[in-house]
Amino acid sequence: MTSIDNSSALSRRSLLKGGAAVIAAPAVLTSPLALAQQRKEVVLVNFGGAAMKAFDEAYVQPFAAQGGRIVLDGSGALNGKILTMVQSGKVTWDICDAGITTLAELGPRNALEKIDYSIVDKAKVPAEFAYENGVVNYMFSSVLAWDTAKVKETPTLADFFDLKKYPGRRMMRKDSQAMLELCLIADGVPQDKLYPLDTKRAFAKIETIKKDVLYWNSGAESQSLMRDGECVMGLLWHTRANVLKGETQGRIAYTFKDGLLQPGLWVVPKGNPAGAEAFRAIASMQQPEGQVKLLAAMGNGPSNPAAQALVPPDLRAMNPADPANVAVQAKINAAWYIENHSKTFQAYLDFISS
Amino acid sequence: MLSRLAAIDPAPTIGADPSRSSLARRLRVGGSARYWLLMTPALALMIVFYVYPISRVLWISVTEPQPGLENFELLLTSASIHKMLLTTARISVLTTLITLVLAYVVAYALVHAGERARRWMFLGVIVPLWISVLVRAFAWFVLLRREGLINNILMTSGVVDSPLSLIWNETGVMIGMVHYMLPFGILPIYANMRDIDQRCIAAARGLGATRSEAFRKVFLPLSMPGVVGAGILVFMFSLGFFVTPAILGGGKTLMIAEYIKVQILEVVRWGVGTMLAATLVIVIGALLAVLSRFVDLRKLFGSI
Repeated sequence: MTSIDNSSALSRRSLLKGGAAVIAAPAVLTSPLALAQQRKEVVLVNFGGAAMKAFDEAYVQPFAAQGGRIVLDGSGALNGKILTMVQSGKVTWDICDAGITTLAELGPRNALEKIDYSIVDKAKVPAEFAYENGVVNYMFSSVLAWDTAKVKETPTLADFFDLKKYPGRRMMRKDSQAMLELCLIADGVPQDKLYPLDTKRAFAKIETIKKDVLYWNSGAESQSLMRDGECVMGLLWHTRANVLKGETQGRIAYTFKDGLLQPGLWVVPKGNPAGAEAFRAIASMQQPEGQVKLLAAMGNGPSNPAAQALVPPDLRAMNPADPANVAVQAKINAAWYIENHSKTFQAYLDFISS
Repeated sequence: MLSRLAAIDPAPTIGADPSRSSLARRLRVGGSARYWLLMTPALALMIVFYVYPISRVLWISVTEPQPGLENFELLLTSASIHKMLLTTARISVLTTLITLVLAYVVAYALVHAGERARRWMFLGVIVPLWISVLVRAFAWFVLLRREGLINNILMTSGVVDSPLSLIWNETGVMIGMVHYMLPFGILPIYANMRDIDQRCIAAARGLGATRSEAFRKVFLPLSMPGVVGAGILVFMFSLGFFVTPAILGGGKTLMIAEYIKVQILEVVRWGVGTMLAATLVIVIGALLAVLSRFVDLRKLFGSI
């Protein structure tokens, strides 16, 4: 048939079309249709839920219009799963929706492909979020949210740690990433001098309110704790805060001020089946139009600087990557995490469970 | 139940059985060999699909990141692991004790209930077994939270002034775990109590014992094998709890199952994760070995 490594259903279908296709094969090879058939299927893993439909509209369809094929898998690419695949030599994923911690844990273990910046356009992402083993896909923030029924004025991050001023339970993520940064900002560390993180100082800050803090595991849990009034203030992802704001008709409010801007990253497992086609898919997903669609659907901020101007005015307030919002936030430093993630995360878990 | 497997083990008596089947005699197969033969398919299945993969996983604990016992050294040196093991042990022991007390009461009531009432009571014991642990944890969340049903009732009836902290702590975790474990406590104790000859109690009463004396000196000792068996079962299950502590613990109750998950999936320290899994297997094995010296495990698990 047209090519040996064409493992797709399309090749089987063309096989069924019978002898005519076989005879005509040399001619078909050169036609645009054949080129389209030769392009491999790219399996993209995200964390499922609402992201399936949103990714389909924002990324899968535009790539299909260019003749490529992305298949979504919502099973969630945790570090351990990616490493198992790579070590067993049976990689089935091409692109994973991951984060800084994946770079930190899997980069040094040599389980990630280097991003091919001859295909992926470095000019279409902020320079600080284009890494060797991963490239930004969308932006998100860890922000302060509060229950306006119990906290009347707009609180600051320092108020989060002030139980006298605002009594009541607080909520943090069961992960050191972003939580330590926000502790330090609350304690007066300037946003541009956060790194290297003073973890002792951050833990000491949590200690002041520790008996009143609950820790969320999943994004859904963070929503439920705020929605049900279990906590009066919380540190959570801006996407979830945004959903809460809508659901509660504004009872839950949030601010980007003193938040931490973080990149969601595309990473490619070592030895991915689609090879370089994965990078063509990533390049396609850099188009601003799809990224704006994703913002409208889920609140994920566009990573392409050119997309910011395309964002409709009514969506700007919820866009973490909007220049006005970027200006008031700190930015995460991946290099520090690559060195320190594992031990910091473990120390954080030990600290909150003691 | 899993106990069925253990129950089918008539090997010890078969050798003495004079009426051995003529077929077996013709085939000249020894009594116990015949049963080993029958067990072979199941045994092979277990080895291929259970023992082998588990051994491979546990093997990682002595090979990753370097060959050696350095992962096991952490059991002695890591403060983080010590704390987590203590939490796990504390919660498991308390859960087991509370479950046994409650299960004993329920089993006692079951044994002494009328036929019709018992059937309904059994339904109440068994039905929760069919409900997912996740659903049950969320149900407890609805009941126990600050503005939940229980706190609302207590507040409006004036019993308490401020909501009780029933959830997001070890109390919440234990409420959820005890609820989950109750059927595993009730069934073995019930099975044992059912076999106690009620005439013993009548005899004790006839000889002048008061009701409470007859219970303490006759019924309670006779029911102990069931209690010990239920205790082992509940304790072993408690050690491996994951969902309930994660949901009802407010993120502050770190037990061994969640700790292993973090090592395997997030910080990717597979050596440490598998070492803890191996430790869990060894501890449970050792526990069973020690207990088997005091109680007849076969009878225990076979008696459910």
